[in-house]
Amino acid sequence: MNVAFKPSETFRDDFTYRNSDDGILRFPFPFAEDKYMYSVNIEPHVPSGPSPAYEHTFDVDEHYIAECRERAIVLEQDPSRCKVLPHMMAAQWDTLELIMESLARDYPRHFSLERDGAQWSWINRPLGIEQTFTFGDASTLPFEPFEYITRQAQGDFTLQDQRENNLFVDGGMVTTQADWSLEFDIGMTFHEWHAPVPLAHQIGVFDRALKFLLRLQQEQPVRRLNWTMTVNPRLDTSPENYPAWGPDRATVDQENVAQKVHLRVELQTLFRLPRSNAILFGVRCYLASVEELARVTKWRKRLHRVLRDLPEELEGYKGLNRYRGMVINYLAPFDDGAPLSKGPQPDQASV
Amino acid sequence: MNEARTLTLRVQKAELISPSLKHVVLESADRSPLPSVGAGSHIRLSLRENNKKFRNAYSIAAAAGDRSSYEIIVRRVEPSRGGSAFIHNTIDAGQTIEASYPGNLFPPSFTAQKHLLISAGIGITPFLSYLSYLRQTRAEVRLHHFCRLDELETFRRLLLPFSAGEVHLHPNSTRIDVANLLQSHPLGTHLYVCGPEKFMETVLGAAKTLHWPGSKLHSESFGGAHAGGAPFVAVLARSGIEVKVGEDQTLLEAIEAAGVEPPSLCRGGACGQCLTEIIDGIPEHRDHYLSPEEHKAGRAMMICVSRAKGNRITLDL
Amino acid sequence: MLTPTIPSRPRYSPFALVPEARAHLIVAERSDALENQPIPAIDPTPLEFWAVSGDCRAPVGDSILNGVHTSHFRSTFHLLSRLSYRLAIETIGLHLYAIGTEPFIWDVVKLAKQFGMNSDEYHLTHRGSEKRRVYCIHCKTMTDDVTNNIAICAGCGASLLVRDHFSKRLAAFMGVQVDAEVAGEVPAIEEVYP
Repeated sequence: MNVAFKPSETFRDDFTYRNSDDGILRFPFPFAEDKYMYSVNIEPHVPSGPSPAYEHTFDVDEHYIAECRERAIVLEQDPSRCKVLPHMMAAQWDTLELIMESLARDYPRHFSLERDGAQWSWINRPLGIEQTFTFGDASTLPFEPFEYITRQAQGDFTLQDQRENNLFVDGGMVTTQADWSLEFDIGMTFHEWHAPVPLAHQIGVFDRALKFLLRLQQEQPVRRLNWTMTVNPRLDTSPENYPAWGPDRATVDQENVAQKVHLRVELQTLFRLPRSNAILFGVRCYLASVEELARVTKWRKRLHRVLRDLPEELEGYKGLNRYRGMVINYLAPFDDGAPLSKGPQPDQASV
Repeated sequence: MNEARTLTLRVQKAELISPSLKHVVLESADRSPLPSVGAGSHIRLSLRENNKKFRNAYSIAAAAGDRSSYEIIVRRVEPSRGGSAFIHNTIDAGQTIEASYPGNLFPPSFTAQKHLLISAGIGITPFLSYLSYLRQTRAEVRLHHFCRLDELETFRRLLLPFSAGEVHLHPNSTRIDVANLLQSHPLGTHLYVCGPEKFMETVLGAAKTLHWPGSKLHSESFGGAHAGGAPFVAVLARSGIEVKVGEDQTLLEAIEAAGVEPPSLCRGGACGQCLTEIIDGIPEHRDHYLSPEEHKAGRAMMICVSRAKGNRITLDL
Repeated sequence: MLTPTIPSRPRYSPFALVPEARAHLIVAERSDALENQPIPAIDPTPLEFWAVSGDCRAPVGDSILNGVHTSHFRSTFHLLSRLSYRLAIETIGLHLYAIGTEPFIWDVVKLAKQFGMNSDEYHLTHRGSEKRRVYCIHCKTMTDDVTNNIAICAGCGASLLVRDHFSKRLAAFMGVQVDAEVAGEVPAIEEVYP
């Protein structure tokens, strides 16, 4: 597997981030039906699915180098975006092992891992990193193990400690989030953490999800998709920096809506970690503008229908109030109302 | 959930460390690294003897740092329901065994400031892995192990690698009051108990009397205790077969012997994997997974430990 | 009593001693916290009551108040400081009860957790003002005694909408700039946490 990276694209200021044609077609489009509602849409994280994005334990795509650089910028300005409570050291090493082994196995041209007992040698060619260290000895790495490896991965990660029949979010690397704060939420239980999500609590989504996750087994990871929309291809839509990105929402007009508004999809993966019995929660963020998605016939029709019929509470929670109508206006002329095939796959081989 | 992939293990070494305890070292048959494991992990071995099939879970007492091997210790149980006698009679170096991926239903508390471990007999095995892990942390640890006098030397040798101030052996020739061990521990202490069911009941009962909060009590028991009972017939509606469940086997074992393989993991009524819906009949619940309300409703059961009340039960399998 | 609207909003229970305790330690923000409370006259379980007088001239020390062993403190910080020394030497079986406003209750919980207590070992009763401590998510400053729907951040001056999202670790509610999208778009200010 060889990925052609686009190292110079940006997720702030001039926003040069774009998807290639292949990038559009592999986008993990989240809508399998014309209507959207919360559900416990958890499935085994097996190496197959309606998009190549599902084929590896951790998907590496053309935006890898640019996303790692963006993460470094966020951490430079606010190091508290990565925080792990002290009792999670075993989980930190578990995470490092899982990510290094997966990347080296799935992308051998880009990553290598050699182990000689506790002496490990790691090579990350896209980022030009070579590191020899002692597994289990944090002083042999430039950062703590969790921060070290998640600086070299796309998407956010949190660590959940399992105790008292609950999961506690006791660590994380969170720089590409949809409006939630690790600094504020760290230490919370599963239900407290998800507290601001409307509707889902009442229909028991989190009760069932928690019961399921408490039983999650080693070597049987699971995944689900979540989505929202973001103005500009901005990864850091944190509450911390809301004063910086909030004004973007007021810049959308009927002329620029298709370029400005992006569908933001989170590929969420959950792994039971071996030494710590903790759960690693990966939240991989994919961005595509409405204009890019509209190049796929099925998707532009389906996106129109989903947004048109979205419950109001979700519009508010996802922050779409200011521009949902404009996106619908843009997409409506493309939608002839014809029935669409079930499932999220694009149904076309090129754009 | 999908059933986990299996591992093929080779017996690297097998030796008796006492007349009824066998120490077995398992390595990956193809020499690839074994899955990483943590303190308290177990592995489930699939054992075949003639037409009989057993799946027994064993605590991983030690795992090599380079992931080349796991160590387990097996006590020969008399009468053996299968598995333990097989391991004692048949298993030797060079043999291969199928196993599930490791799981962990007995992890230590990572927030505890002190760990108090109390075990009896073969219940020591998870605590051997605890001791290896805990010595890398700053938390205080105390192990009290109860054993038969004739096995005192065996356990002393097993505990030799650990600090003498942290481990205490109590052969049953000395009378010791469990309650004494449970008093005056700092607020951040967690208590872990592993051993025969009756021993665990005694220790946990004493802990309750001595005001230990429920969130700081941890215990694990494997198989054995919940096995057997009156024989009955299980009707598997989807498979269209009837299975006779003998008095010395579990419902799950009988179902597996008939060639049906429902998902299962801990085989001790704790993990919830083998939850099965009941179409007709009344269950006798013996699990720790379902809530009292779910037990009362009687619509589903954990087939690894629970049985039928009466002579017939129909399951959605 | 405060009613939760979202699940991170903590629940509090009416004051009641739990039977499984080896010893009870009740800490309160006010010395009248136990008035009209169900304290059994004869109970073999040791019980102590620590309360803040809020008066630097008030006598400090121990006394028997209504048959209860009582310790008096000049301020909440005075009480919390002594509590940390006490919990360091306490043993399993102690149950801790906190009675007062939310900032006080959660300062007590923070200490309890630091010394290894779990949520089944402490019990929280809300008493007094519903004023909130608000954490400015943008500049990390705590603003105390917030009674309005919109608070002015003591650190960066932002107009903060007080979300109902509560962090037990910070013992504070989240404050988010209310007019970030369009400057000056601020809803009417009203008192909502009396």
